[in-house]
Amino acid sequence: MEQSESIAGCGIQMETGPALEKREGAWAAVRGLLRNRYCLYGLSVIGFLLIWYWAALYSSISRFMPTPDQVFNEMVRIAGHKLAGKTLVGHLWASLRRVLIGFGIGVALGVPLGLIMAINKYINAAVKPIFDLFKPMPPIAWISLAILWFGIGEQSKVFIIAIGAFVPALINSYNGIRLVDPALYDAVRMLGGNRRQELYQVTFPAAFPAIFAGFQIALSMAWGSVLAAELVGARSGMGYIIILGMKVFKPELIIGGMIIIALVAGFLTLSLNYLEKKVCPWKRELT
Amino acid sequence: MNSKPRIGRGNILRLLPYLSVAAFFLGWQLLVETGIIPRVLLATPLEVGKLFFVKLTQAQPDGSLLWVHTVVSLGEALLGYLLALVVGIPLGLLMGWFVLAEGLARPLFEMIRPIPPVAWIPLAIFWFGIGLSGKVFIIWACAVIPCVINAYTGVRMTNPTLVQMARTYGATDWQVFTRICIPSALPMVFGGLQIALALAWTTLVAAELIASDVGLGFLINMGRRLLRPDMIVLGMLMVGLTGWFIGAVIDWLERKLTAGLERGGSSS
Repeated sequence: MEQSESIAGCGIQMETGPALEKREGAWAAVRGLLRNRYCLYGLSVIGFLLIWYWAALYSSISRFMPTPDQVFNEMVRIAGHKLAGKTLVGHLWASLRRVLIGFGIGVALGVPLGLIMAINKYINAAVKPIFDLFKPMPPIAWISLAILWFGIGEQSKVFIIAIGAFVPALINSYNGIRLVDPALYDAVRMLGGNRRQELYQVTFPAAFPAIFAGFQIALSMAWGSVLAAELVGARSGMGYIIILGMKVFKPELIIGGMIIIALVAGFLTLSLNYLEKKVCPWKRELT
Repeated sequence: MNSKPRIGRGNILRLLPYLSVAAFFLGWQLLVETGIIPRVLLATPLEVGKLFFVKLTQAQPDGSLLWVHTVVSLGEALLGYLLALVVGIPLGLLMGWFVLAEGLARPLFEMIRPIPPVAWIPLAIFWFGIGLSGKVFIIWACAVIPCVINAYTGVRMTNPTLVQMARTYGATDWQVFTRICIPSALPMVFGGLQIALALAWTTLVAAELIASDVGLGFLINMGRRLLRPDMIVLGMLMVGLTGWFIGAVIDWLERKLTAGLERGGSSS
């Protein structure tokens, strides 16, 4: 705080000072710094941390606000110590396992159904209206019914995640096929392709980037759904950690958990982006 | 035209949606009626319909009328959503055009962005309690992100030719921003509004499930506690219908406001 005040004071002195050239030189330097993106990034992060420290130490909400180093210490502590019978890695794995199973089920059901609906208009006419009934319902709204049906164990969570992943997987594969450029079909027909070749050589490869984008949405939905399911009722997982922090009045545990959750989410997104470049290099960049 | 009388291919395609929806509800009713799915696990559609009318006039057993739940949920969602628009869209637009705004806001934004919306719930309850302000904070935190992203991308996708032309005519930085970048970003901004709304509504239901004393999420949760599957299904239906309805309103607004503008690119 003191430092920034003295800098501000300095600036005012320079402005009112007599040395015109010196002032302009200093201004140009400041302007240059303000144009430099990386310098601004640094300023922003430092400012954020300073405000956080100030809020945690001096403001009226300081009781509810841990300092950054308290959060860091808490993260180190839960990494080493057991929390409700599991280490941090154990909780992380509990969440990820649910996500992977639910995501697998949701995608395995959603993609084929979407493809069939896009290819066959009779199936589309029969299934689409029912799907449209369920589509606007958030996956989390299923949670009570899921707990009623499957109990509070793993199955109900996997069910929620599967629903969360199913909807975007289906929508994207359906739209992906319907939005294939018709000129591609004309081309393959002109080259003498039959219906089978049309499907395997044109439809699926052309729709694949959209389907893969559906995977990305489905995975982030799955990660959000698992947290929601664990917040409502669980004894393990990252969602349980942050709700535990709320119950035992430990804000550093909540924020530490949120940081880990955000890191995992970022990691999942990045790895899917990387995978996308590997498996469908023909994807056109959006203009 | 058609040699086959009455049932041609076109007719089948036109009738099939109604048939399948009818079959769906009939099957649902029969499955529960015959006891294949026990009544404690699922209610019949007729029971749900009956409960809908009962709940319109009767506050028991969860303490509020149906429309009170709906209005409270909608109010919380819309308040947080509007605050997110007011902050997010100008911020995103400025970030798209001015280096200063981007440099200062980008790192903070990138820190917050990967946090899934529901992960804010414990912190918000911890800070603000289970009342209105906590819910509004949660919704704000999750709805502001698509607003910023889409406004930012919208400005970034402005056709450079237009900007260069404006510069040739001597427009200042600010004029280019207000006259060219903002209008050309509008379709993207509206795409962001849709995404933000869907997110806000989902997150609100989650928040109400975890801690609240009124609202549609609370209705669903009470249905589970009281072992009333009809109440759960009614709550889910209301959530779905309301979500669909506000989506339709935004869609209509978008068509009104961006008439004549083409949606630039797609926002996967």
